[in-house]
Parts: sequence; C-alpha cells; structure tokens
Amino acid sequence: METQQGEARTGAIRTIVVVGGGSAGWIAAARLAARHARGTDDIVVKLVESSTVPTIGVGEGTWPTMRNTLAKIGIGETDFLRSCDAAFKQGAQFVGWKDGSPGDAYYHPLNPPAGATEVNLSPHWQHLAGAAPDRAFADWADFQAALCDAGLAPKTITAPEYGGVANYAYHLDAGKFATLLRDHAVGRLGVEHIVADVTGVTMADNGDIARLELADGGSVAGDLFVDCTGFAALLIGKVYDVPFRSCRDVLFADRAIAMQVPYAEEDAPITSHTVSTAQDAGWIWDIGLWARRGTGYVYSSAHIDDDAAEAALRAYVGPAAEQLSARRITIEAGHRERFWQNNCVAVGLSAGFLEPLEASALMLIEASMDAIADRLPRTRAAMDTAARQFNESFTHHWARIIEFLKLHYAITKRVDTAFWRDNAAARSIPDSLKERLALWREHPPAPQDFAHAREVFSWPSYQYVLHGMGFETHYPAIAATTPDAAIARRWTGRIERMRADAVAQMPRNRDLLRAIREHGLQAV
Amino acid sequence: MLDPMRHHALHSDAMAGAAARQFVQIGLSEIALAAADMPLCLVKDAQTGRFTLIALLGLIEPRNLFWHDGEMRATYLPRAASLTGFRLDAAGAGGLAVDEADPAMGARGEALFAADRSPAPILADIRAGLERIVADIAAAQALIDDYARLRVIRPLSITLQLSDGREHVVAGLYGLDEEALAALDDATVVALHRADQLAPAAVMAASLAQVERLRQLHNATHARQIAAYQIAFTD
Repeated sequence: METQQGEARTGAIRTIVVVGGGSAGWIAAARLAARHARGTDDIVVKLVESSTVPTIGVGEGTWPTMRNTLAKIGIGETDFLRSCDAAFKQGAQFVGWKDGSPGDAYYHPLNPPAGATEVNLSPHWQHLAGAAPDRAFADWADFQAALCDAGLAPKTITAPEYGGVANYAYHLDAGKFATLLRDHAVGRLGVEHIVADVTGVTMADNGDIARLELADGGSVAGDLFVDCTGFAALLIGKVYDVPFRSCRDVLFADRAIAMQVPYAEEDAPITSHTVSTAQDAGWIWDIGLWARRGTGYVYSSAHIDDDAAEAALRAYVGPAAEQLSARRITIEAGHRERFWQNNCVAVGLSAGFLEPLEASALMLIEASMDAIADRLPRTRAAMDTAARQFNESFTHHWARIIEFLKLHYAITKRVDTAFWRDNAAARSIPDSLKERLALWREHPPAPQDFAHAREVFSWPSYQYVLHGMGFETHYPAIAATTPDAAIARRWTGRIERMRADAVAQMPRNRDLLRAIREHGLQAV
Repeated sequence: MLDPMRHHALHSDAMAGAAARQFVQIGLSEIALAAADMPLCLVKDAQTGRFTLIALLGLIEPRNLFWHDGEMRATYLPRAASLTGFRLDAAGAGGLAVDEADPAMGARGEALFAADRSPAPILADIRAGLERIVADIAAAQALIDDYARLRVIRPLSITLQLSDGREHVVAGLYGLDEEALAALDDATVVALHRADQLAPAAVMAASLAQVERLRQLHNATHARQIAAYQIAFTD
C-alpha cells in the first residue's frame, strides 16, 4: 500500500548526503535528486564538497549509457556537448595488441554485431575468414568501423538529442562535466551544496553514520551517505575500514601519465573513437575532444620506470609534446570487498579503480546510481537487503570487468617485452577466464555463457576482442543451405547497404559538433 | 546568380515548379490559408536541424497532388510554390539567382529578359515576392522555434496501406502534438495566446485531417490506391 505523504514511517530515508564533488559525486546527487527530490517521499539531497581536495578528473571516455543518464538527470545533449568540450565516441581501436606487427589494429565498436538477437555471426565469420583472412570481424559484422576509419560522426544534425544512426558514447572534459552537473543539480534539481572539509563522523549506536562533522564547526546529518571521496575513501575506507581487494596480480598497471594535447589547427579532424596503442609496458590512450586531445600512458612500474614511460608518451605525441606538461598519477587496481556498508555506499574511485582500457569508470558510477536511485530503500529496515543485493551485484560486475580487461592482454601473441609475456602467463589469468577461453576455442561466445541478464560486458564485446586479437577458433562449419546461414547472409547483406549509406550520409565528426554548437540539436 | 549573358533566353513557367513539389515551405501569414487544403507539418533543415514549416502536397511520389491538367486545384497556392526556381542574390540581375535545374526554368513561360537583354519587369515582381516570403518564413521560423522550446513537437508518422497490400511510411515529418499542447501549464497557454501563437498551433494540429484530402486526390489519379492510413506521433 502506498504511504501517504507526510505520514511518519519508522526509519524513513529522508536525507541523502553525498560526500565528494567530482564526477561521481555530482552524478550521484543529480540522479538521486532527479529521481526522488520531488517525489512523495520528499527526499532531500545534500552534497558536501571540500574546497581543498582537488578532483582526480578520471574518466574522459563514457559508454552509451551516459546518454540515458543525462536524459534522466534532465540535461539536454546540446548543452552537454557545448559545456563539456565533448565529442562523439563510437568505440575503441586497439593498435599493436595482437602481435605488434605493422598494421596490427582492430576495432571494438559500440554497435553490436548485426542481427545479434537473431544470429551468432562468429562461426559464419570464421569460415569466411578462411577465404578472406584480411576481412576483420568488426568490419564484416557491422558498419561502425567504416565510420571510425573515415572520421565520420554517428549521426546527422537532423537526429534528435541522444538518438543516432550508430550507437555512440562521448569523450568529455571531466572537470567541465562536474561543473555542468553541479550547476544543474544545484540550480535545477534542488541539491543543497555544502562546501566544507569533513573532519570526522558521529556514529549511531547501530554502527551507522549519524552525521558528518565539518571543519567550520557545523555538521550534516543524514539517513544514507554516498561516499564519492575518490581514492581517499573517507567513509567506506577510513570509517568502515572495508578491505580493498587488489587485482594487481591480474592487471599490472599501477601508474599513468596524462598529457593534454592541443590540435595543430582549428579544423583538425576529431577522431570518433578511442585509440589505445600498445607500448612496451602498457598502453597509451588517445581521445578526441572538441578543443584538444587527451592522451596518457597507463603502465606497470614493475616493467618500466616513470621517466621512461613519460619519454614514451612524449615520443607518441611527437614534437607538440615539447611544450606540454605531463601529470603523473598513481593508481591501485582493485575494489572494495563490499561497496555498501551500513548506511554508506561507495560510488566512484572510493569503490575501486581499474585502468581505463574499456572506459568503465563513469559507467560503473552510472550503473551504481541506477541501482541506488531506482531501488532506493525507503526505510532503514530495507537498507540491509538493498545493501546485500548491491554488494552481490557489483562484486559480480567488478569481477567480470577485470576478466574482460585481462582478455585484451591474455591472448596477445606479443612476446617482445616482459610486460606482455607476464600478461599472457597462465598464473596471471583468472581461472574463470581460462575456462571460458577453452570453451570459446570450440564454441562461439553466446548469451548462455553469461550468468546475468544484464552483463556489463556480454558476448558481443567478447566476440569483437577475441576475433580482433586473432584468437584461434575451431567452430563447426555451418552448411550454406541451413536457415541460420540464410539469416547470416541476410544480415551481412543488410550491413553492406547500411555501411554504404552511413558513409555517404554521415558528416565529419568535427563538422557535426560545430553544427551542434551553432544550431543545437532538436529534442525530438 | 541571374546573368543576362547566360540567361537571356531563359523563361519561367511558375506553375511547372509547383507541379513537381511534394511539399512547400510556408510563412506565418499562410498558416490559416494553406490549412484549408493541406496538412501543415514540420521537416528538419538538413544543414541546421531546425524545424521548418511546410504544407504537404504529396504522399508517395515527389509530386504535387493538387496539380491536375495544368492547373492547381486548391483554394490556396502557397506563395513559395510559384517561385521555386528563384533565390535572392544581390549580385544577380534584378537582385536574383536562379536554379537552372528547377522544372519552372526553361523555354516556356514568361521571359526573364527583354530582347536587348535588359531585365524584364517580371523580375521586380519576383524579387518583391521573394522578399515578402523570406520575411514571412522567418516569422514562421520564430514561431516554430518557440514550439520546439516548449517541446510540443513530436515525430509524426503517416502510414499508408496500399491496395496491393504494401505499406508506405511518409517519414521525416513532425507535427504539433495536441496532448502536449493540452499539458502546458496555464501561464504558458496564456502567454502563447497573447503572443498570437496559440491559434496557429490549433490550426496546424487540426490541419492533419487534410491527409484525407491528399488520399482522395491520390486515389483519383493512381491505380494503386491508398486503402487506409494511420497518423501517429512517435517518440
């Protein structure tokens, strides 16, 4: 039965306090406020942000999920693109990961393979590949790689906000993104913004956090606290001491060097995908924003020293790097054993960190806030169940992401440096991944291989990486006369036409972004 | 650019341009007039993505269903329909440019230049007509931009069931959604009314009933009949 407005409920969740004002904090506050602040439960959302702790600004690549998140928060795509220096991203290109030979590159586009709900194209492609070994799976099974190759956008100016011909995500300036979210959350959604350093907490008898104590002598009481304090993990780590589960034994990267690179000229093309280029001891990201590129080397300090890594990044950027400064970041790959403890839930870097190989950081924030905001416990009594469900779900998600990231390394044929040899060594590969790899030599990745209905990385993503990396498979031949082969032919024929149409009709990525900055996109 | 040297023999048959049009852009002052015959819809400009107000003249083929036996069988002829081959261009003769590929342009109709290659008087009329249309279309544009801001515009799909069993969807159209209009708060409705923007919205929404007129005109001249149709707002 619906509780009437104003009726007292024991332990009702009324005040949610978000701690930390980076991307995670403001996404959390905005999602909660947009979903609940004007509801019958009359929930108040507050965000406490230190004026002295800088944000990390992690995560300049998103998933397509960001389109839904922004729409739910109530931010228009035109405003977002203009405010955040953002550009369209249609996937990732992995350069030099397979064997490091000249021309070694493959795409993991954001479009799923054609007809994914009707047919599994892997075995059909394997047999085609025997006849046409140069035809990449991503290029055969979908049209998006052709758009990426040509530097074209995923939509035209006549598409509505958040809609497109091809699936897409964004590259964005994380600092500007946090500012946009803050202005929207405070100005439009009624989030109370408190700028103060948190100096301590007062605990309740049941072990919950009762309130935060602030440096200015004030305090902020709450029913639920969202810890978005980044690597500091002020609540989930320092208050609750929830152990951190490292995955350094699987994913070796523990350092990053980042460099922002201006475009050489105003009209320079904006690459519409992330380029991830393998290096001796890690890989370099290269993402195109409206006004600059973001680059960085993610590496293992056990395999290269910091100065050599910076030299490698500068060599990648070229002469332009001479005038640019680099920023070094220490990272710890892994996550908390639990994310939700008592009335505190960790979101963002306080929950964990993984190298940005598949841009999972912002996606995990969004997924966490989907789970929290859409299933917000209405009472304290319901919170323990919500916490248990959340912890089970996100322990699974983190494990699945770690495994998928490791896949990129585990099946490399590179043996040129210790980093790549160690990555392919059996001792560093999770047993669950070994088991799946053995399966996928004989059986194409399929929905049945995954436990949850909504996996963060599901079988299409595995197909793109496995086939892109040249993973050796032995799938049974499918006779051309079977219905399955007919469906595959129909879809690949359709893809050929869609590719030709899309390449002919889509504008250059920069041209579309310029048109949007000038004219805006319509809401419908 | 209209050039006496290049175009001295060119003639304009204004109605030939109208005959080939599936839709035509209209101005603010034409809304009530055009709605007497035609569905009024919106399409997006390919360069800017902005909504543009149009009168729909055809359904399946790119032709004007009101055009029959060399004349326009409608109570109202949208002004732009008779000037399809011309643009304003200060550098051209008579302040005009021509689209040589437009069906209105050729050897028939009214001469654009006299025998001595001086501009014919008709050029001044065409220019005045174009200037009036451009201003009127700009006024319509401002109105439509306001509707877009109020989010009362929705994608519109007209699905035609043909007598051969096939289906044809008239795509790329947008319209004013009466439900969205009805959901506007009182202050917004009053503000629209005071700005003379409410009545055009009602006229545009009601004009969709003229799809039936287009169906009748189509069926009068085509063997493949439109048996039925559905008009739906989609998201």
